[in-house]
Amino acid sequence: MNDNDSKLLKGLRALAADGPREAPVCVEDRLLGELRRRSHARRRNRWLGVATAAIAAGVLMMLWVPTEPAVPAPRMAPIAVNTVQSPQTPPKAAIQPPAYERGAEVAINFYPLPDADELPPIESATIVRVQLPMSSLRLMGLPVSEDRAAEFIQADMLLGQDGLARGVRFVQ
Amino acid sequence: MSNSLTNGDGDLLRLISRGDEAAFLAFYRRYQGQVYRFALQMSGQVEIAEEVTQDVFMVVMGSARKYDPARGSIAAYLYGVARNFVLRRLEQERPYLTVLDDPDSEYADIAADNPDALAGLTRNERIESLRRAVLTLPPAYREVVVLCDLHELDYNEAATALDCAIGTIRSRLHRARALLAEKMRAEERCAV
Repeated sequence: MNDNDSKLLKGLRALAADGPREAPVCVEDRLLGELRRRSHARRRNRWLGVATAAIAAGVLMMLWVPTEPAVPAPRMAPIAVNTVQSPQTPPKAAIQPPAYERGAEVAINFYPLPDADELPPIESATIVRVQLPMSSLRLMGLPVSEDRAAEFIQADMLLGQDGLARGVRFVQ
Repeated sequence: MSNSLTNGDGDLLRLISRGDEAAFLAFYRRYQGQVYRFALQMSGQVEIAEEVTQDVFMVVMGSARKYDPARGSIAAYLYGVARNFVLRRLEQERPYLTVLDDPDSEYADIAADNPDALAGLTRNERIESLRRAVLTLPPAYREVVVLCDLHELDYNEAATALDCAIGTIRSRLHRARALLAEKMRAEERCAV
C-alpha cells in the first residue's frame, strides 16, 4: 500500500466517522404512525372476519335442512322380559349404548386455529356453536372423504376476550 | 452492525410481524442509523436519506416474516433493500444531480478557477472534499466504497447486500479506490 492509498483509507475512515449518526426523529414518528394505522386495520379486518364467519354460520344454520335420517332410537334391553324368566338369573343390566349413539355430545379438546398462538393469551373466553362443512376437518389434518365433504357438522368456536377465534372443537 | 441474526433480531422480527410496536421501535433504533447513513452517503441528500430510511422500515413492517436468515445477515438484508430504494430515487432525480455527476460542474470549476482554493484545507474541508469525490463515483463503485470502507462490511456481506459475487465486490472496490485516489490527487495538485 503506497502513501496515497493509506492517505485515502485514512480519509475514508474520517469520512465514516463524520456526519449524522441517526435518522431524524420525524422518520420514527412517521413510521410509528404507519405501524399504528396498520395494526388498527389488522384488528378491524380480524373482527370483520369473525363477524362474517358468525353471520355465515348463522345463515347456514337457518337454511340447512338435515338430509341424514334421524338418529335411531337407542336400543334398550327388555328389562321386563328378564324379570319374567328366571329369578335366579341376575337381571341383565340395560345395555347402555355408547354416548355417541345416545345422541349425547362428546366434547373433545379444542384444536388451536392456525396463527392462534400469535394472539394474546386468553383472559376470558366465549364459546359459540356454529355449523361447519365437514371439509373444514381437513384443516385439522383429519381425513374426510369427498362424498361427505359437503355435509355439515356442529362445532364450538372458542373466542378470546378480543373476539378473535382461538380454537375449534367438533361436536357430534 | 451485527453480522448475524443475534441479539434477539429473530424474536423482534416475529413480534413485528404481529404488529408489536415496542419490538418495532427496538428494531428500528438498532438499525436506523446504519440505514440512514448508507442512504445519505449514497445520495448526498438528506431528503432522500429520510425517505429511503422510512421506506426500508416500511418493508420490514410489512414483511418481517419473509426475511430468511439463511440468505444472509439482517444487516445485509437491510442494506440490500436500502440500496434498491436509493438507486430508484437517484434514477428519478438524475436530471437534478448534474452538479455532482458532471465533471465540468461548479465543484470541478472551483479548483480550476482558483488554484489556491484547496490549499490549507482544514480537516473538515478535506472530509467534505472526499465526500464529494465519493458522490461523483458511478453508483456501482460508490456502493462498494460506502459498504466496505465507510460501513466496514466484509466482502461476503457486501456481496449479499448487493446480490453479486465476492469477486465483483473486490474488483469494484479496487477500481473505486483507484478512482478516488485519482480524484484526490487531482484536488491536491490543484491546491498546490
